[in-house]
Amino acid sequence: MKIIKDKVAKLSFVALLITMTAAMFYAPTASAHGEKSQAAFMRMRTIHWFDLNWSKEEVAINDTMTISGKFLVFAGWPETVDKPEVSFLNVGIPGPVFIRAGSWIGGQLVPRSVSLELGEVYEFKVLLKARRPGDWHVHSMMNVKGGGPIIGPGKWVTITGSMSDFVNPVTTLTGQTINLENYSLDNVYFWHALWYAIGLAWMVYWVRKPLFVPRHIAVSSGKGETLITPTDKKAGLIVGVGTLVLVAASMASTNEKYPVTTPLQAGLLRGMKTYQMPEATVAVKVDDATYRVPGRAMQMTLTITNNGDSPVRLGEFNTAGVRFLDPAVHVDETGYPDDLLAEEGLSVSDNSPLAPGESRTVEVTASDAAWEVYRLADLIYDPDSRFAGLLFFWDANGNRQLVTVDAPLIPTFI
Amino acid sequence: MSASQSAVRSRAEAVQVSRTFDWMILFTLFCAVLGGYHIHYMLTGGDWDFWTDWKDRRLWVTVAPIVSITFPAAVQACLWWRYKLPLGATLSVLALMLGEWINRYMNFWGWTYFPVNICFPSNLIPGALVLDVVLLLGNSMTLTAVVGGMAYGLLFYPGNWPIIAPLHVPVEYNGMMMTLADLQGYHYVRTGTPEYIRMVEKGTLRTFGKDVAPVSAFFSAFVSIIIYFLWHFFGRWFSKTDFISDDAT
Amino acid sequence: MAATTESVKTDAAEAPLLNKRNLTLGILLYLTFYSFIRWYEGVYGWSAGLDSFAPEFETYWMNMLYIELVAEVLLFAGINGYIWKTRDRKVMSITPREELRRHFTHWIWLVCYGWAIYWGASYFTEQDGTWHQTIVRDTDFTPSHIIEFYLSYPIYIITGSASFMYAKTRLPTYHEGLNLMYLIAVIGPFMILPNVGLNEWGHTFWFMEELFVAPLHYGFVFFGWAALAVMGVVNTEVMAITKLLKKDLA
Repeated sequence: MKIIKDKVAKLSFVALLITMTAAMFYAPTASAHGEKSQAAFMRMRTIHWFDLNWSKEEVAINDTMTISGKFLVFAGWPETVDKPEVSFLNVGIPGPVFIRAGSWIGGQLVPRSVSLELGEVYEFKVLLKARRPGDWHVHSMMNVKGGGPIIGPGKWVTITGSMSDFVNPVTTLTGQTINLENYSLDNVYFWHALWYAIGLAWMVYWVRKPLFVPRHIAVSSGKGETLITPTDKKAGLIVGVGTLVLVAASMASTNEKYPVTTPLQAGLLRGMKTYQMPEATVAVKVDDATYRVPGRAMQMTLTITNNGDSPVRLGEFNTAGVRFLDPAVHVDETGYPDDLLAEEGLSVSDNSPLAPGESRTVEVTASDAAWEVYRLADLIYDPDSRFAGLLFFWDANGNRQLVTVDAPLIPTFI
Repeated sequence: MSASQSAVRSRAEAVQVSRTFDWMILFTLFCAVLGGYHIHYMLTGGDWDFWTDWKDRRLWVTVAPIVSITFPAAVQACLWWRYKLPLGATLSVLALMLGEWINRYMNFWGWTYFPVNICFPSNLIPGALVLDVVLLLGNSMTLTAVVGGMAYGLLFYPGNWPIIAPLHVPVEYNGMMMTLADLQGYHYVRTGTPEYIRMVEKGTLRTFGKDVAPVSAFFSAFVSIIIYFLWHFFGRWFSKTDFISDDAT
Repeated sequence: MAATTESVKTDAAEAPLLNKRNLTLGILLYLTFYSFIRWYEGVYGWSAGLDSFAPEFETYWMNMLYIELVAEVLLFAGINGYIWKTRDRKVMSITPREELRRHFTHWIWLVCYGWAIYWGASYFTEQDGTWHQTIVRDTDFTPSHIIEFYLSYPIYIITGSASFMYAKTRLPTYHEGLNLMYLIAVIGPFMILPNVGLNEWGHTFWFMEELFVAPLHYGFVFFGWAALAVMGVVNTEVMAITKLLKKDLA
């Protein structure tokens, strides 16, 4: 009976270990990133991402892909978010499913935090190397000190293959090529195991003798001194001196083995190169803006003035990464994520070409389920109920200009 | 049933009972100290302990000993003065590091897939051993605070250097120089922890060049002495066996 | 020697001083349960736990939260109520051997309390670090919080309070008055749970990143220190057990 019991106990323990190990190697389909929880006014009035491109939708382990595009640091930056004086170009992925092989703003590598200027446009690129299989939502992302993560649009990317094949070769300035994925791991384990064993030996030395009740009796009857024998003191001396010797010796041998080391590198990068958009010759004034809750639509009355020399048409309204297009003017061919793209979501009461010098007041409606799905409609419940976004105008030759809008929003509930 | 009746049948049983309690007490003490020490350490020095690109020669060296000498001092106060067991520091640190290792392996690696060579814990054992040995040989709180506390601070960096030195080898990456540890922090994306969160040496106006680590260790040793005293008294207070009246609640 | 063996043998009929089965089962209970939880996190953390607005989040995580909260309240009331209801009204007149037996049972509770504190304060708390540094925190009820704050903390609170209640109702040592360190050892770690209020307030209003050493977290640190009060409990217990064993150990 006992043998059976023992067997059951053993088997259950093995089953437990197997379950836990299995859980660790589970390759999942991740859900999206939680970008929807961020206050809508924050997503609409901080970083505007546009011209985004995800170079692949499926990547094999060890292969790379890029996310590239531009972002505008909005001039009407909200008061409650610290200005992006210390920012970090991040990437919104669930941990190291990719490694970030490189990231650039205006052609400059940005492994560190950077200082950004309000009202400026920057070009960026992030190079990712696939590491862990699964379907992942890959976002552009900017972290702002005092403001937190500002997540840009995300697109599903599938990584195929096996994580055990992943390698991360790096060549050091001392000429070695190492695999950063497991570099120096044996060394870490060795020293930790050695020191832990020494600590444990010290514990065992004391724990093998009776501990609490007998020692309490001795100490409380004034015989505490008898509990420490000369041998104990010798053992202590050996451990103490041994510790000092081992620390000194290991430090010296390490210095011999690694003669070239440098301190960690840190420091803010300033003066990032901005991207010059063509000078906007169209002026837009928002006369009023309302959000119709039942219709999931935002209506703006805009007075548009064309100060340029060619006729233009409004083709796109972009806010918080959601793009509303008028297909008669502009059609997206970049493979932008479906859920963020309202291909026919923009209607303009009169979208005939606006001649140079002409001024026209139009009703613009941006409607799509994305208002709800991406919780942008919650703007009307925010404590600073202002919306903002980018308007793109095109002329007949395909020249594009960008104009920002920033105005109060009035909800209508009926 | 007279009050003078014995709880045990024999001396042998008494010894066995006492020994059984030893193990149960030791287990509980180990786990409770592990829990309290770990939550304390991870929230006062944790980020330096989690990631290699935080293990710098200034702040890590300064902060880790100061915040980690606390529980060892307190547990020593109980185990030495009540039981003459010079184990308090080693027990605390072994407990903490066991908790850390289990978590780094099972969760940092096992749940969120950071390689273990970026998220291993700091080695606190050399300092703890010296603390216990000084207390054993000196039988004095003051001596342990001054000599032990000093050693605890000073031994931290050299005790960890063999482990982190390989990660401080420089590398040129896309036209910038960084250490392998910096590169780990850059490669292995921490979505919720942007680079500016990192508190490491950024160079100062009057830095003594290469002497940053020794100066930091010396300062840390100084503060460790003070913290040792403070926490030793905490330990004594937490060792009390006083009862308060039911009404007090 | 032979006489000793004989006298121990004659007691075989009575209940053993230490119920080893309960001790083992207690430890295994937490280990098995938390292994299941870790498995659940591993699977549903990734597949359903990243977006708090997704329907699967409601299914796998919010429901988990509701179930655990209800179960914990019931468990807390049930266990403490039972221990109180079955209290020994003549605790001062038990035999020394019975007292010793109860000290062992009390230590089974304390072993479980220490074990539960390990899981809550060490394992799941540092685990929270890796989750929140990895993902974007988009709700107060992240998968990590649902396990850490609302499961592992209540479990050690229930274990600790039951342990305290057992001592108070069944051991002569604790019959009169309240042991200060025992109170601290139970109430201090308990206070970590209400301190979650401060944590969430801070993270919601101004601190979305996860910096573990941020002063916002120091409330946890302060209450974590209370775990040291277990030393006072150990000392009280050692004194009590010494009284029972002293003349036989001498």
